[in-house]
Formats: sequence, structure tokens, C-alpha cells
Amino acid sequence: MRSDPAGLGRGPLTRWLPVFLDAPAEPREARPIEVGPIEVGAGVTAGRFLLRATFSVRRVSVPAMLLAIVWQVGESAVPVVMGLAVDRALATGNAGQLVLWLSVLSALYVALTVAARLSNRLTGYAVQLLQHRLRSTLSTAVLHPVGGAARTPDGGVVSVMTNDIARLSNAVILVIIPVSRITAIGFIAASLLATHWLLGLMVLLGAPAAVWLMGVFSEQLSHDTREYQGLVAATVGQATDLVAGYRVIKGVRAEAEATRRYRRASQETLVGAGRNAGLLGRFLVGAGVVSGTFVAAVMGLAGWFAVDGQLSIGGLITAVGLTQALLPQIQAIASLSIPNLVGAHASSARVLEVLRDNATSTAGPDDAAPREVAARPALDVVVPNVSGPGVTVRVEPGELVGVRADDRTAARVVEALLDPWSKGETGAGVEVRLDGIAARELSSVEYRSHVTVAPHRTALFSGTLRDNVAGAAAPPQRVDAAVRAAACDDFASDLDTTVGEGGNRLSGGQRQRVALARALASDAPVLVLHDPTTAVDSVTEHAIAGRLRGLRAGRSTLLVTSAPALLGACDRVVELPDVLVPARTAP
Amino acid sequence: MSDTSAAPGTAPSDAGLPGLPIASGPETAREVWRLTHGHRLQLAATGVLGIVSTGVDLITPAAIGFLVDRVQAGTADLTTVLTVTVAMALSAVLGATGTAVTIVLATRAYHAILATLRERLVGRALTLPQHLVERAGTGDLISRSSDDVTAVADAAPAVIPVLTVTVFTIVVSLGGLAAVEWPYAAAFAVVLPVYALAMRWYLRTGPRVYRAERAAMSARAQQILESQRGYATVLGFGLAERRHRAVMTDSWGVAVQSLRARAVQSMLNGRLNLGEFLSLTAVLVVGFVLIDHGASSVGGATTAMLLVLRLLGPVNQLLFVIDTLQSALASLSRMIGVVTIPQDAGEPKAPTGAGSAVRLREVTFRYDGGPRVLDDITLDLPAGQHVAVVGASGAGKSTLAAVIAGIHPPGAGTVARPGHVAVITQEVHVFAGTVRDNLTLAAPEATDREIRAALDATGAVGLLDLTPGGLDTVVGMGGHPLTDAQAQQLALARVLLADPDLAILDEATAEAGSAHAEQLDRAVLAVLAGRSGLVIAHRLSQAAVCDRIIVLEHGRITETGTHAGLVAAGGGYAGLWSVWQEGQGSTWPSRSG
Repeated sequence: MRSDPAGLGRGPLTRWLPVFLDAPAEPREARPIEVGPIEVGAGVTAGRFLLRATFSVRRVSVPAMLLAIVWQVGESAVPVVMGLAVDRALATGNAGQLVLWLSVLSALYVALTVAARLSNRLTGYAVQLLQHRLRSTLSTAVLHPVGGAARTPDGGVVSVMTNDIARLSNAVILVIIPVSRITAIGFIAASLLATHWLLGLMVLLGAPAAVWLMGVFSEQLSHDTREYQGLVAATVGQATDLVAGYRVIKGVRAEAEATRRYRRASQETLVGAGRNAGLLGRFLVGAGVVSGTFVAAVMGLAGWFAVDGQLSIGGLITAVGLTQALLPQIQAIASLSIPNLVGAHASSARVLEVLRDNATSTAGPDDAAPREVAARPALDVVVPNVSGPGVTVRVEPGELVGVRADDRTAARVVEALLDPWSKGETGAGVEVRLDGIAARELSSVEYRSHVTVAPHRTALFSGTLRDNVAGAAAPPQRVDAAVRAAACDDFASDLDTTVGEGGNRLSGGQRQRVALARALASDAPVLVLHDPTTAVDSVTEHAIAGRLRGLRAGRSTLLVTSAPALLGACDRVVELPDVLVPARTAP
Repeated sequence: MSDTSAAPGTAPSDAGLPGLPIASGPETAREVWRLTHGHRLQLAATGVLGIVSTGVDLITPAAIGFLVDRVQAGTADLTTVLTVTVAMALSAVLGATGTAVTIVLATRAYHAILATLRERLVGRALTLPQHLVERAGTGDLISRSSDDVTAVADAAPAVIPVLTVTVFTIVVSLGGLAAVEWPYAAAFAVVLPVYALAMRWYLRTGPRVYRAERAAMSARAQQILESQRGYATVLGFGLAERRHRAVMTDSWGVAVQSLRARAVQSMLNGRLNLGEFLSLTAVLVVGFVLIDHGASSVGGATTAMLLVLRLLGPVNQLLFVIDTLQSALASLSRMIGVVTIPQDAGEPKAPTGAGSAVRLREVTFRYDGGPRVLDDITLDLPAGQHVAVVGASGAGKSTLAAVIAGIHPPGAGTVARPGHVAVITQEVHVFAGTVRDNLTLAAPEATDREIRAALDATGAVGLLDLTPGGLDTVVGMGGHPLTDAQAQQLALARVLLADPDLAILDEATAEAGSAHAEQLDRAVLAVLAGRSGLVIAHRLSQAAVCDRIIVLEHGRITETGTHAGLVAAGGGYAGLWSVWQEGQGSTWPSRSG
């Protein structure tokens, strides 16, 4: 394999051939696609979005289309050349003619092979380029809104950013392959016209009708197939869910009941599979009957012309060859291109919907001149109280302040600190100020450069311990100090150890300590920690509480927790009343 | 060339772990044969129908050849043409119908067999001895019951026509070719080495490149998933740009691998085109020689040419599908590997009989060649008593719980336990489904009244007021989100409904926010009431209310006694307790408005 530089397993005969259009290893600049004024929701339909996306890669797809035409017309010409060879060489016994037609055949194969190869590579490139661009668009607009504060995208965004983008991007193929196939059908019709006008006319009228008829069958089938695939996905999802809860099921001895539930879902899927197979059968019968009788009719007519003397034997064989070449073209359009179009359109609608849903909220003031706050600002959190004027938690620069509240109130306070621009319910009523300026008056970049919030349910990302702890490019000494302060020494002796997907190679307690180390390493002027040690045993928690203060010296920290050990390490502790409990229970 | 290295994070990380078994080729074949039981007649009929239908398809080329010869001889008239046309149309209709029925029958049998297999897979997966699964990691089981099942199901549309129609078409067409004149078939056979070489190259290169593509895809999906799940973290730490770059790097990684895969397909296409060209050349040359010697007619040559032309499609299809077939077989052997694990493989024998008490005698335990995690543990837990296990991280508390529960068989010594044991670990999982579904998992017969009573006892009945649909609220993945505390209350209620003799709570309330601690402590007491209990807790307040406390250090019991007794003794437990007390006892200046 070492002797084959491209790594494609080629033997000594072919390894010297160049590999055309290998993708550059570095990502191309991912220019987001101009999606237009979709915020208003006017004008852009799924179809138009699909068109716009498809034509954004026309510099690659148009050459691919031209090459595909060469390829498909070449494929259709093979039976013609064969027919001519039988007629001119075999029927006459002329060896010179045989050599001539074999040369023509080989030239034809070389041309169509090269054209097919280049066209396929260009098509693949166009599809991947479009996928990459669309993903970039969604990534910045929905998943990682740099300057924004859009609401948390739900789990569906994962499938939109993988499956739907892939399906939408496959629409690029529609401007390449079907166009070339239609051109090939045109070529066949023209050749038949040259043989006999009536045969050509039959194909010109009959082929579109056959495509349309088969398309009708095919659309039903592809609709049902997607439904069935949904069923399979649901069954597989249930299996995953059950096995993910393996320890819980074993813990309460619910194996039999869980198996019974899975069997029920599996049997429903089986019913779906049976129905889908029935529809597949109908499609196959329909397509076979339509195309078979059509081809038989054309061939019969050609046969009659041959008997009648209007057509030579050679003409008859050519006509038969051409008609044979017609079949795969019609079938491919009906069974591949039409489902592709249907799927791409549905996915386009879903992508557009996600973009619309998430692109509505913008963070910070729209118009006002950008406001700035001091490098080490004082933080105020104003929590309303149903019965009174509310409580203000103030953190002076350099202070370590604890906040004790019930879970719900604590969650609201942290939500508000995480996203002070939120118009939703989550942090409602809680106001955040930096140096007296309301956070919603600040741009999100300005706010986040001062305030770092470590939520309770904190996530680790695939990569090494160091990648996770040094999230915001912290210097090595600071990372080491943070790892020590968060009591990670027992498992984090080597920071280049990988943590697994979402940190799944670490235990819950270890994950929580790595997350704390990341927060401490961030060196933010204002750091908010929410219940950072719930999965840590009391001895370790005590040690962490002792080290916290030293590491945050000179910077402000707000600790939202009810862990006594942590609160004991604070300069001050503020008790928050329960914002949700009505006034009656308050004294 | 290490293609797979392009997918960081999906490297074979679990190397060294003893995975679950994978069935060998013969085992897979035997099991598949056993699974066809009840479908064999249908499958045989399908095979016969497939051969007949593809045979019918031969009528068209034969009819054309007949017509050409008649026209050339000048003996053709309108009747000949009509007969030939009707024969062709009939063969098209019959062939298409027969093929369609073959594929439908085969598809239905395929899915019925797959359904049986996946049900047995999940059933067996859940009844496997837990220590086997713990050693292999649940990830392996998840991938077998999801990725592998999907792979085999998705392979159906590609594999079934190949296994039925395509193979028959090739065989029948070759037969037809030989029937015209055997040298035509011989000429085609000469080209076979080209196809064999192409296939050998493809099987060597294709799977590797496709694997790399799939690995890149799952790495990409994982990055997107992590950004979605960690949205709050991304926001709070200002990691948006960094995460965007990570996603886009993996997005382009997929593009690179996909284009390599397309390159391999183009190369296969090129090789197939070479095969096509050589086949057609062979037919023309053989036809030329045969006609020259008067051994074949022009009509015969035309038929042969048409047969070869219709042979090329299926041959290409076969080669293209071979790697799908191969990966479906690989998935199948992974599924069957689990299904065929013998029922009694290493199932720990549980000597019960000691009534509902737990009795451990000189128990030691170590994980595969590792150091001793439990060392000479002797322990009695009389029926109805509650025992707390206390110790630092890594002292062996969870392992002790697992050995008592029967998850791990002890290395030495004996363990006796009651017949019905329930375990809750720190790992809470909310199943996708309604609240009722989640609870009746442990007690399928439970009535709504019993369910509400259990929720009430664990303090979770408030959950029903907060969720829109009461017991019918859909929770779990894609459903109404529950807090950690609510999920734990649900888990505790589930144990209450399961009504075991012994309940083992392994840090069952550790993940919840600390403000809910007291409420969960009460729920734990409710679950333990009237049965034996083993509690492993971070919070010493839970230990203090148990009948007895065991202090574990490096896998050995160092102290045992009642809370008051241990505190008075002034040992390790007394030290832990004073640290805990210190934290609890501090008072803070409370400012409230």
C-alpha cells in the first residue's frame, strides 16, 4: 500500500494514473449562504430557498452537467455502435469494417469513462461544498450565535444539520444527472427520427409520458419509504433508549417488561415494512409494464417498417439498440431523480424553519451606541419578590459572594446571568447590571468579555482534558492551578488524556470537577458558579472550598449553591426568598 | 495510509476491553438458517419464481433475433411482426410482475427474519449477566442494537434484488447466450477475470474508505450534538467561535472522506467499463468468426449482443452492492454474536436461602487482573435492617454494592442475598415514554392508584401538578424535561413499586441540587421502610439515620457500628462526621429584603 501514494489500493498497472480533483485537506473558506430576508418570513419559500442553495455552487455544477451529457449520450450511443457493427461488419463479413467499428467502440468507451469520472467527482465536490456552506450558515445562526442570544436549539437541530442538509444538498445532482439523461433521451429520439420519422416521434411523445407515469408510482413509494424509515428509526431509538437505561432495568429486574415493549414496537415496524414492500411491488409492476409495453411497441413498429422495406436490417438493429438504451434512462429518472426532488424539497422546508425559528431574537441594543464598562465591574443581580421590593445581590470587585436559594429560584438567577437578553420565561424578572448599567443595554460581546457563567449541568466536549479546561485559551500555569483547585489531581495527572464523547470516559464526579477546573481557568473578571460540587464527596468538597478563594483572589465570584462547605468559604452569603411561592407563606 | 485517523474522538478507544463476542461465519450461517424456520417454503417458492421471471425476460432478445432472421430471409409478414410484438409485450408484463412478486416476497421474509432477530437481540442483551456487559461497556450493546440493526434494515433495498433477480438474470442470460451458440458464452467467460480483479480491488479498498467516511460522519454528528447539548456551556463560557470551528473542521473532514469514497466509486466504474468494452468486443469478434464459418446467423449475433447488453447492468449492480452486502453481513454477525451467548455463561450462582438477609463471608474481588478492590469482607445484614456504607472515593463502596446485588460474582468467598433485589445507582435514566410507562416498567400490573401512592411516598406527586398531562405526560428523550431531582424521585418511586426484599441505593441522590437533599432523604426513608436496605451516600445525614454504619477503606471494613457508637469511638467516621458537622453548623450573616 505504501507504493500507492493516493491510498486507493491501486496495483502497479493503474497507480501512476492521476487522481483528479482530490479534496484539499484544509477546509475551504465556508462562505455562508446568503439566505435573504427570512426574518420577516416573507417571500422565501422552501422551493426558492432550494433553488438559491442549488445555484450557489453553479461554478462547479455546470461543468459537471456538461460532462454528464457527454457521458450519458455516450452510454446511449453504445447500442447504436453495436447495431452498426453487426450490420456493417458481421452481416457483410468485412474484417476491415470490424476493426473500424471496434476502434469506434473503444474510443466511445474512453470518452464516456473519462467524462463520467470527471463529472462524478465534480458532482461530489459540488454536493459537499453546498453541505459545508449550509452547515456553516446553520452553525453560526442557530448552534453558535456569536453575537446573539437565540434560545436553546432543541435536539432536532442535530438531525437538520446532518440528514436534512445532506438531503437538501443532493438537489445539486438534479441539475446534473436528469439534465444529461433528458439530453440522452433527446439524442435517442433524434437518432430514431433519422432512421424513421414515426419512430422518433413515438419516443418524443412516449418517453415523457412513461417518465410521468412511473414518477407517479415512484412518488407514492418514496413517501411511504420515508414513513417506514421513520418507523425503523423509532424502533432503533427505543432499543437505544432501553439499552442506555440498562443499569436501571437490571436494577429493578424489568428485563421481561422492557423486552415485551420493544417487541411491540418492532412488530409495528414489521407491519410498516410489509406495507412498504407491497408499494415497492406495485411500483415495480407499474414501471415494468409501462416501459416494457412501450419498448415492445416501438420495436414492433420498427419490425413492421423492416418487413415493409422502409427500414434496412441495419436500421432495424440500430432502432432496437436505441430503444433498449431508452429503458434505463426512463427508469433512472423515475426511480432516482423524482424521490431526490421530493426529499430535497421537504428538507429545504425544515432547514428554513429552523433558520426562521432561531434567527428572530437578536442580542443587545439594536441602535444605541455601544456602551462599555470597567475592566473589573461590580455586579448586581436584582431578584423580584412576590411580596416585597425584591433582593439585590451585589458583588463588589474582588468579592466572593454566596447565594443560597431553592432550586427553582437559583435556576432563574443563573438563567438570567447566562442570557440577560432573554425575552422568554426562564430568567424572567431577574435583572443583571454591571457597574449599574443593565446588561440588556450591553452588546453580548461586551457582556461576555466580563462575565463567565458555569451552569450546573455543564457539558464537556470530545477532546483532551486540556482542550476542555483551557477552553478560552488559558495559559498553562493557570490551567495547572485550576486543575489542582478543582481537586482533579487523582485522575488528571496527564492533561492530554482524551475524555471520550461528551466526557463519557469520566465518572459523573470527575466530569463535574473538570467543568469546575474549566471555570476556574477562565480567569473571568466575574465568574458565576452554579452548584459546582453536587457529585463530589464531602471530604473533597471541603478541599475545593479551601482552594477556591486563593484562585479567585482579586476577581469577583458569585457562588449559587446550598452546599454548606462552599458557602462557608464565601465573604458573604445572601439568602434569596423563593420567588415562586406566593406572598402568603412569606412572613 | 491511516484513513481512520481523520476522525478524532472515534479512535478505537475501547481497545483492551473484552468486548462482546462476534459470531463466526459458520455460526452466522447456522443461526440465519435457524431463523428462516417458518419462512422456508416461502423462500423456496420465491427462488423458483425468480428464476422463471428472469427466464421470461429472455423472450425479447430471442424474438428480435427471430425477426431479424425472418426479415433477412424475406419470410416475414404482418403476422410475424404482430406475433413478435405481442410476445415481447407479454414477456415484459409477465417478467415485470414475476420479478416484482419475487422481490416483495423476499423483502417480507427478510424483514420478518430481521424483526425476530432484533427482538431476540434486545431480549438477550437485557438478560445477559451484568458483569459481562459492564466489562464490555454498554456502548457496544447500544451500537449492536442500533447501528447494526439499521445497517441490516437499510441494506434490504440493495441486497434483496441482488440476491434474487440480479443473480438469476446473470445465470439465465449466460444460459441463453450458450443456447444461441456456446462460443458466445465462452467469450463472455473470458472477460470474467477482469471483473474478478475489479472485485478484488474493490473489496480491498472500498470498505476501508467507506468506514473512514462513516467514522468522519459520526465524528461530525457528535460535534454538533455536543454543541447542542452543551448550549448553556457554550454561551456561558463564550465558546461559540471555538465550537463553530470544531464543527466546521469535522464538516470538512466528511467532505474529504466523501470525495475519496466517490473517487473509489469512479475507479470501480472505470474498471466495470473496461469489462463492458471487452465483453462487447468479444461478442462482435466471436459473432464475426461464427458467421464467417456459417455457424451463426446475423439474427443469432443480434440476440447475443442484446443478451450481453442486458447482462452488463446486473453485473455492475452486483459489484456495486458487494460492499453493502459485506457490511450487512458484518453487522449480522455482531448481532448474532450476542443472541448466541449461552444462557448460563458466567451467570453468578446466587445462593439465597438465608431468608431475606444478606450474608457475605470472606469476600474478595478484583477487576480483571487489577488490584484487590474488596478484601476479606464479612458482613451480615439481617432482614429489615438498614446499613450505610461510608468511605472516600475509590474505597470500594460501589463495588461492594455490586457484589451484594449479584452484578459481579465474588473472586473468593460466598455471598447470600434475598431473592428479589433492586438497585438504584447514581446513573438516572428517564425512559422515553409517559410517566406511567416509566413506573410500570418495574411493575407492569400496577394501577394508577398504586402509581400515585408511590409518587406521593417519594415526594414526587408534585411532579404531576407541574407536568401538563399528569401520568400521561411524555418524558425522556424528546419529551417534557425533568430536573435531576425529579428524575431521581421517579427512580425511587419505581423501586417502591417493584417492592423488593432488599433495596440497594448507591449514591442514589447525589446528582440533585443540594437544596432538594432533605426532600430526597425523606424519599429514601420511604423506599427503605419495611425492607432491608443498603445505602451508599455522600451525605452523612443519610448514614446517620441507618441502623448500622460500615466504614470502608481500601476495600477493607475498618469500622462498623451504630452512628452514636462510632462517633463516640472517635475513629475515622467520627472525623468525617465532624467535618460534615462543621459545614452544616456554620451560620452566615443572612441579608434579606
